[in-house]
Amino acid sequence: MIRAMLRVQWLSMRFSRLASGRGALFSVLIAVLWYGFWTMLAALAEELTAAPQLRQQILNWLPVGLLAVFGYWQLAPLASATMGASLDLRKLLIYPVPRQSLFWVEILLRITTCAELLLLLTGTAIGLVRNPAFGGWRTLERVPLALVLFAAFNLMLAAGLRNLIERLLSRKGIREVLALLLMLMGVLPRLLMATGVSANRIERIFPTASNPIWPWGGAAHFMLGPAAGIAKAAAVLLSWTTAAYLFGRWQFTRSLRYDFQEAQATPASAKDHPFADRLYRLPSLVLPDPLCVIVEKELRSLVRTPRFRLVFVMGFSFGLVVWLPMMLRGRVAHSAVSGNFLVVVSLYALFLLAQVTYGNAFGFDGSAAQLYFLAPVAISRALAGKNIAAAIFIFLEIAAVATACTLLRLGISAGTIAEAFLVAAIAALYLLGVGNLSSVNYPRPMNARRVSAGGGAGRAQGVLFLLYPVALLPVFLAYLARYAFDNQAVFYGVLAFAAALGVAIYWMAMESAVAAARNRRETIQAELSRGEGPMVAE
Amino acid sequence: MPDAPAIAVHDLHKLYGNNAAVDGVDLVVPRGCFFGFLGPNGAGKSTTIRMLTGLIPPSSGSIELLGMPLPERELEIKRRVGLVPDESLLFDRLTGAEFLEFVGRMYGLARPVAVERAQSLLDLFELRERRKLIAEYSKGMRKRLAMAASLIHHPDLFLMDEPFEGVDAVGARLMKDILLDQVRRGATIFLTSHVLEVVERLCDRVAIIDKGKIVREGSMDELRGGTESLEDVFVRVVGAGREFHELEWLR
Repeated sequence: MIRAMLRVQWLSMRFSRLASGRGALFSVLIAVLWYGFWTMLAALAEELTAAPQLRQQILNWLPVGLLAVFGYWQLAPLASATMGASLDLRKLLIYPVPRQSLFWVEILLRITTCAELLLLLTGTAIGLVRNPAFGGWRTLERVPLALVLFAAFNLMLAAGLRNLIERLLSRKGIREVLALLLMLMGVLPRLLMATGVSANRIERIFPTASNPIWPWGGAAHFMLGPAAGIAKAAAVLLSWTTAAYLFGRWQFTRSLRYDFQEAQATPASAKDHPFADRLYRLPSLVLPDPLCVIVEKELRSLVRTPRFRLVFVMGFSFGLVVWLPMMLRGRVAHSAVSGNFLVVVSLYALFLLAQVTYGNAFGFDGSAAQLYFLAPVAISRALAGKNIAAAIFIFLEIAAVATACTLLRLGISAGTIAEAFLVAAIAALYLLGVGNLSSVNYPRPMNARRVSAGGGAGRAQGVLFLLYPVALLPVFLAYLARYAFDNQAVFYGVLAFAAALGVAIYWMAMESAVAAARNRRETIQAELSRGEGPMVAE
Repeated sequence: MPDAPAIAVHDLHKLYGNNAAVDGVDLVVPRGCFFGFLGPNGAGKSTTIRMLTGLIPPSSGSIELLGMPLPERELEIKRRVGLVPDESLLFDRLTGAEFLEFVGRMYGLARPVAVERAQSLLDLFELRERRKLIAEYSKGMRKRLAMAASLIHHPDLFLMDEPFEGVDAVGARLMKDILLDQVRRGATIFLTSHVLEVVERLCDRVAIIDKGKIVREGSMDELRGGTESLEDVFVRVVGAGREFHELEWLR
């Protein structure tokens, strides 16, 4: 039964893989780079843990390393909003599949989010087994067993957390707060260090990491001894693994019974919001139809899309918190980031919004995007309307960042805010041009209800990621000119040139995107209407 | 060209690799006609409708709608055509009223007119829950909304792919009455449906497509020949008699 499910998922994915040779090549290239990097890290871990002269350091740092693995394992998929493959229960619940089988498939699928960590643990295990300072090959029974239990603990905990968080995120109002909290958890240590808490005080936490009562401490003690504590450490690790199994099963069963639709339904008591409606209608003051109605539609739809709202919140909060430590350090030693903090955060927000707006403009429309081909409106209008809506959100994002900076009293002047808007607007010209090309050449449906990225998002995101530095080059040149000549006039001169070039590039990209939309309309519609197998890759 | 047929298709082909989804279709649908386009699953009905709407280009052949060639006068044609597609092309994160207003304005209606018509259509199709997002609509409600959207710009030609699928009896009755009324005012309806009783009751002309080719075409009376029902004709023409009795395990 499990094999049948995995096979049908493979068959479902086959079409999209075969559909684009370039896409497949790009995916393979990214995978080789990513896993190559982790294989190198695993080899390094093997080298270090196999060195007998590092015995004491290994004893001190192995629990800390396992704690780091635990942290990455549990938090990375949440922080990056890519939660790996999971079962689409709606499609499988109609079959007589035992829930236990579904749970084990879910656990197996968690491996897609942690293959790199399994590589790292394998490298560590091989090194430890080879290290004569810990008994060499005599540890062959304990070391792999400890790491397998530690991996199983992480896998089942991650599965449980995923189900729990997905349910929480489906509730209106909770998801944005939860996303903010999760993100703060990830960057809090860095922020504390940057705001004056000494590194020593943070490092003092680490000795408690080696306490065998924790799963990472238990795993380290089980592997390395001392002999008297091995049985106790094994029992602790086994207990944690059992607890993680029970937690994972519990959360899985609750998710099976959970009605996501009910959680997201509009309450019967919901009232009209005339003020919000007036805001949505503001574009009609300056834009004619059909451009105006497309912008209005985008504004309304995106604001109601959980995935978009999450990314929008992350856009200013994550950027702010990630770059804030550098800004605060910059008060002591001036740096490029601290000097242009608001611009950096605005450009970061601009990049983050790509995945939910201009990078895949028809993604949330799905098969309904066909309406743009059916209506008596040129496709260039649809793209332009979507671009205007994206630009509105980009400027709102910058306004939110500027407000936050003002509230945090970061000494941001009105001139800096104006500069951030100007630079972001110019950079947006290039990125919207690239986004339009990406939207018609790599369209993919996105599930508005799911808070993590839709299947197949990786390739187009990768393309944008590679093109982002190129698109920012003209703006970067302006800053370089200001640095080299120490002259504002030169800076604004280069920016003006970048803006003119940006308009020309946007125009050419739009022409090209319209031609591609005309030639590829069948493929675009097919891609946007594409269903998925019994599992969804996120 | 007011005298030109509503639909004139000549030698229409659509190839997917070596596979012909539509294979040399010739079709003329007069104005003011309620035309039924029938065929078994995979016969090429939806592909034909998608080519008529300009969603996909034909591999070869010509299409004229309301006397205008496609794709040369695509925008003019689209302004005068209403479509109910087989899958509901609705923006899930809008309310029904917002969606209808959107469609109306996309077809060139002024905003107040679009808002007013949207409201009337929502009342007519009993979709009055103003704040409810389309994502929360049932299948039947989605179909009714798609039907309302096809009416908002008062088109001369309707292209409808399975419009009654998933709609309850009351909704279906309402839709049929509206369509008959549209024909009475001179509009043309090109409809596909697997519910042959509905086609038999509504349509005055019918074409049957099988394996991408038109295998029968004519008025309802011509097709039935006075003795057969439409279902009998259809089954006879597209081939039936699948011998399920041969499957021992199924008995």
